[in-house]
Amino acid sequence: MNPLPRLRQLAAGGGFIAPFTIVWVLGVLVPVLGIVVFSFFRSRGVTFIFEPTLAAYESTFSHAGWQVLLRSARITATVTLIELVVAYPFALWLAKSARSPLLKLATFTALTVPFFLSPTARTLVWRVILGRNGLINTVLLEIGIIDEPLDWLLFSETAVHFGFLGPYFPSMVWPIFLSITLIDDELIEASRDLGGGRFHTFWHVILPLSLPGIVAGMIFTFVPMMGDTVVPQTVGGGAVLMLSSEINSLFSVMNYPVAAAVSTFALLFVVLFQFVLWLVLQRSGGIAHVFESLRR
Amino acid sequence: MTVLATSVAPGRDLVMDRLMRIGRPFGIAIGYLWISLIYIPIVWLAVMSVSSRPLTGVPYPLSLEWYDALFSGDMRWSGPLERSLIIGLIVSALCMVAATLVGRVLPLLRRRGGLLAAYLAPLFVPGLVTGVSMFMFYRAFVGVKLGDWSLVLAHFVWAFPFALLAMLVVSSRFDTRMNEAASDLGATDWQRFWQIEVPLLRPGIIASGFFGFLLSFNELPLSIYMRAGQMTLPLHLWSESTAHQSSIPLIYGMSTLVTIASILIVVLALRLLFFRDAER
Repeated sequence: MNPLPRLRQLAAGGGFIAPFTIVWVLGVLVPVLGIVVFSFFRSRGVTFIFEPTLAAYESTFSHAGWQVLLRSARITATVTLIELVVAYPFALWLAKSARSPLLKLATFTALTVPFFLSPTARTLVWRVILGRNGLINTVLLEIGIIDEPLDWLLFSETAVHFGFLGPYFPSMVWPIFLSITLIDDELIEASRDLGGGRFHTFWHVILPLSLPGIVAGMIFTFVPMMGDTVVPQTVGGGAVLMLSSEINSLFSVMNYPVAAAVSTFALLFVVLFQFVLWLVLQRSGGIAHVFESLRR
Repeated sequence: MTVLATSVAPGRDLVMDRLMRIGRPFGIAIGYLWISLIYIPIVWLAVMSVSSRPLTGVPYPLSLEWYDALFSGDMRWSGPLERSLIIGLIVSALCMVAATLVGRVLPLLRRRGGLLAAYLAPLFVPGLVTGVSMFMFYRAFVGVKLGDWSLVLAHFVWAFPFALLAMLVVSSRFDTRMNEAASDLGATDWQRFWQIEVPLLRPGIIASGFFGFLLSFNELPLSIYMRAGQMTLPLHLWSESTAHQSSIPLIYGMSTLVTIASILIVVLALRLLFFRDAER
């Protein structure tokens, strides 16, 4: 039997989407949620022993795991807020005021390319820029601004915050930019015509309508940063342990249940964060409200 | 808009208006400063790769010795590079097929919101957690041996949401009357799909292929957990850079080449996706 006609039929009709969705849910979404289940068991070697226990959670609370989780959440939340404050005015300008098409094109490209670069390649060199014998210390010593190399430039919490700033800027700018672009210029003009000043228009028209973008930007910045493997270990070293190094060390001793418990907490933080943002969106009328006002 | 009818405290607003006007150039400047924080280390990486003492962070004196060593001496990167290229091409092909077949129907479905959320779900979970969960599910729970197949799966899970979004940029603008016209003129389902839809969706198909390749080729956090000892290029660079100080100069050279290639491919994909109409 020739399978080609059936394959053609599957592709040309809508028949592909149902089996694909089933495989996607069973093969991807179920495993990800499965981690919550695994955190309630013990393991021997690479197999789980399916007797319910809270041992993994006791272990997470009794050793450093809990502190690492809180530190990761604190650093991630701080950088997310910094990115929001920096990205919003920039995105507003880019969406409504930037005139030069060439500058806009260059900026869009500059904000897209980083998503597709090797995280190691673009972080590694900070070590020799910020290190004790690195570029900045060498230059500052030469000029005579400092007498001793600055130690806090690398392997410190400051360094980790700094290392996050660049890589997670585009993920905050894009959603805000898109939501501001969607705001009809006539709404802004109407506000001005009715006597609303610059700030009044911003506060009562632009900001509420761009709220979905702010929420999306915060999610797309917070979520990947929480699981970042490269930045904390490259610029934080052993001095600033975050989620990735904690899970790595749990994996190296094959302590899978505690790794599952720590991951479950990370998942919980992330879900909670997204839920709070979703509530904010609902209170302000929700996405539906925004689309209605756009539809006119 | 009722809010506009409410009276305002004019004094406060005037102060804020002035602040916004004065603040704008600073906002723009800081935005570009933040973008430069992405590109300074990339540029400096390239500079350091032609420095004879790269670990000092100071470029002079210049030298091509590391590139020489990269291609004549320590060739341990060639195996991982080959594996990354092959896996990248497989993931790229899978992304093109899946993004096309899903993306062309999705905008027309009634339950598109829920389906889209399910497909984009990996974007809302940290990659690290996805990797750990999938490892535990497949290795410890199902009990299968991980290998190249699990790297392909992990990379596909990571890349598919982006490939689908790239496809939706094109397919949500697709004029469905084209399909009706084709059917009215007697085209079979397959002819309509292959001769009408695929050519029109081509920018999205190609872009999702490019994105699938690049996201797989540079993927690290999921690969750490979803492998069985094999090395991809990012894994090789990552483990070398954390373990051996002496091989860092070579890693600079290799990373520079990979980064330049990646930037060229992204720019090409973006042109295809967004600037085709302008050229016509």
